Amino acid sequence: MPLAFVDWDALLTVIWASLLAGIGVTAAYGLAILGTTRAIDYGRTGRVAEAAVYAVIGVLGGATVLAAIVFGIVVLTQK
Amino acid sequence: MKGELLTVIIVVATALAFDFTNGFHDTANVVATSISTRAMAPRLAVGYAAMLNFVGAFISLKVAATVASDVVDPGAITLLVVFGGLVGAIAWNLTTWYFGLPSSSSHALIGGIVGSMLVAKGPDAVFFENGIIGKVMLPALVAPTLAFIVGGASILVLYRIVGGLRPRPVTRGFRTGQVISGGLLALAHGTNDAQKTMGVIALALVAYGSLPASDPTPPTWVVVSAAGAIAIGTYAGGWRIIKTMGSRIHKMDSAQGFAAQGAGAAVILASSHGGFPLSTTHTISGAVIGSGAAKRLSAVRWGVAGNIVVAWIVTLPVAAAMGALTYAVTRLFGTGAAGPLVVSVLIVIGSAVLFSRRAQQAGPVAQAET
Repeated sequence: MPLAFVDWDALLTVIWASLLAGIGVTAAYGLAILGTTRAIDYGRTGRVAEAAVYAVIGVLGGATVLAAIVFGIVVLTQK
Repeated sequence: MKGELLTVIIVVATALAFDFTNGFHDTANVVATSISTRAMAPRLAVGYAAMLNFVGAFISLKVAATVASDVVDPGAITLLVVFGGLVGAIAWNLTTWYFGLPSSSSHALIGGIVGSMLVAKGPDAVFFENGIIGKVMLPALVAPTLAFIVGGASILVLYRIVGGLRPRPVTRGFRTGQVISGGLLALAHGTNDAQKTMGVIALALVAYGSLPASDPTPPTWVVVSAAGAIAIGTYAGGWRIIKTMGSRIHKMDSAQGFAAQGAGAAVILASSHGGFPLSTTHTISGAVIGSGAAKRLSAVRWGVAGNIVVAWIVTLPVAAAMGALTYAVTRLFGTGAAGPLVVSVLIVIGSAVLFSRRAQQAGPVAQAET
């Protein structure tokens, strides 16, 4: 193995975790905005079913982001 | 003993001065995108970052002597080596601030201490493979590349999700998101970088004999003063670098700002979790460039990006040369306090000249705040 002193396992973990967390959390936040905006728009026009579906998407997106923030703070405190 | 006490006081003061430049220099990492997209007003943004940097310094109090102990032999460290390293790092931070270039304060500190140690004890006291290559150079290569990819991929995903929505709630939503992601970045920065200064002060106290080498936990006054110095430096705000990061690389919209900050925070936290040290500056810069390039390659001013990369590459060797020179000059006056005293006076005069020259030019604060 070239550069045997490098912790390749840790490096690979960092790469996939960064990709997952970075893209996942930003996508979740995007879904939170999508859900909230569409829920409000459909709510105004009286389309309750669509509004409810988008509200759930918004809440799930927001909850994912919140969970990621809590996890991030836990990581900070434990290192 | 009196001479040594004076030396340790000068070294601690120099470490806090470095901590101030670290906050001052790296403010841009946290606030530039928020200011650029108008998610926060400039003064509010730096005040918010300063507060969270201060809090971040208290979050983890495990000894953070890794900056020095992973790259040089801790047993060979003396007060003058630490002093040489700190002055080398301060000199490089001020130089890059003068030119408005975001560069790594951690790399400057590592480079300074390595250069100082090379002159003091020779190459045997420096850990090149495990330390310099494994823990400094490899992360320096991986982190910005990874942040570039994550930042780019994130903005593409975001545009796909929110592309058909009305712009006003989207912009408002991402601006709110930037307040959160910027806060997380500021916390991470405070934890990472204030800890490094605490570790360096702890090393100086070990070398002086007031802390045991077996358990060099920084005392409370070190923690509070390091947290305070980085927070004050952050509040002072390195406006020139903020301008480079926020608007000179590319003109960001709020979604790009959020994607860059989110990608930066994800890479920093994933690395922290995996015990893989990296530079916050490199990471955020990579994410900012990635979020611009993914939208349109020509949106990025590649000349500015190229200057930033050059600054990254030369940080370690130039800071090492500055650290080596500082150590050599200091030793001309012997091993007492005279050398550090003379060099400190010189660095204060040099800093005053740099600041006054910049102050005479068209107000960078006003430019950044508009």
